[in-house]
Amino acid sequence: MPKFVDLHVLPRVEDEKSCRQMADLLRLAGYSTIGLTIPTGLLRERISFLRHIFQEAGIETALRVDLSSGSRMELLRLLRRFRNSYDIIGVKCSNPGVATVACRDRRVDVVFFDPRNHKVRFNHSLANLLRGAFEFNLLSTLLRETNGIFSTITKQAVIAREHKVKVVLSSGSNVPGMVRSPSQIAALGSTIGLSKEQSAEGVSSTPRSIITRNSSLRSSEYIEEGVRVVLPKAR
Amino acid sequence: MARRYLLVKVVSERPLSSEQFGTALIGSVRRCFGEVGLSRIDPKLVRFDPNQSEAIVACKRDGASELQAAIALISEASEVSIVPLVLRVSGTIKGLGKRKPR
Repeated sequence: MPKFVDLHVLPRVEDEKSCRQMADLLRLAGYSTIGLTIPTGLLRERISFLRHIFQEAGIETALRVDLSSGSRMELLRLLRRFRNSYDIIGVKCSNPGVATVACRDRRVDVVFFDPRNHKVRFNHSLANLLRGAFEFNLLSTLLRETNGIFSTITKQAVIAREHKVKVVLSSGSNVPGMVRSPSQIAALGSTIGLSKEQSAEGVSSTPRSIITRNSSLRSSEYIEEGVRVVLPKAR
Repeated sequence: MARRYLLVKVVSERPLSSEQFGTALIGSVRRCFGEVGLSRIDPKLVRFDPNQSEAIVACKRDGASELQAAIALISEASEVSIVPLVLRVSGTIKGLGKRKPR
């Protein structure tokens, strides 16, 4: 049975009841791992408590932060500051300059766009630059409003499919009411125009590979690309 | 015509009736795929258990993915917030019962 991942879950950190409900629903839906998205200034004790809530429900967590900046220099500064502290770095592309840097920088794991933002759109040149994965936050966008949004998302999906970029399908849920099962998220991916393989991988192998790669990069054995400490086997 | 059966867990604040869920289901399919899509998918509420909050929905085989997408976009039924989770898809109703507990 494949292990499903929702890479973008944004629980209300101050609301314990909502977090517990969300954890139970995510487990019922069939997820094994989530990308726990938290604000950057949150205390360590609170982070541990949140992770504990999800672990109690049987869900592994990977810490994620969403970076949003107004300029490319600020984004580079934020990446330098936060890359080593979080398992996953997501960048919300709010203008073309930031989108270019985010797509090109290898420290960025996923990029996503606000479909309501007309200043910047995912296009062919960004798809060519993209090193990480492109993320669709399907529920958070489609449950709120569909007027015009659906066509924007469909255009992004067509570009992603054409350039065969890595796609991550997430819910982007911040309340328990937005949780859906992985098969529903994959079905939404197929509906917006992604291939069935891309959709299925978008909720399982693609996000899992991001988490696995980053956990190995953050381990104490890692030195640099291609170099890691190998301890001798005990006799 | 081959059909697919979906086991849907409906988590809601208040208990729902089968009519309320059925109306929300048909409404969502119509909103997402239109009248033509509705006839192509042909969704039918086969069974609804208000105690277990579980429903079995049937559709044409080719429309199973679209029906799952439409179910995902249901957020309320008769002004009650609901979370519909598709737990299993099978070719027979009996097959839905073979779901392993997670």
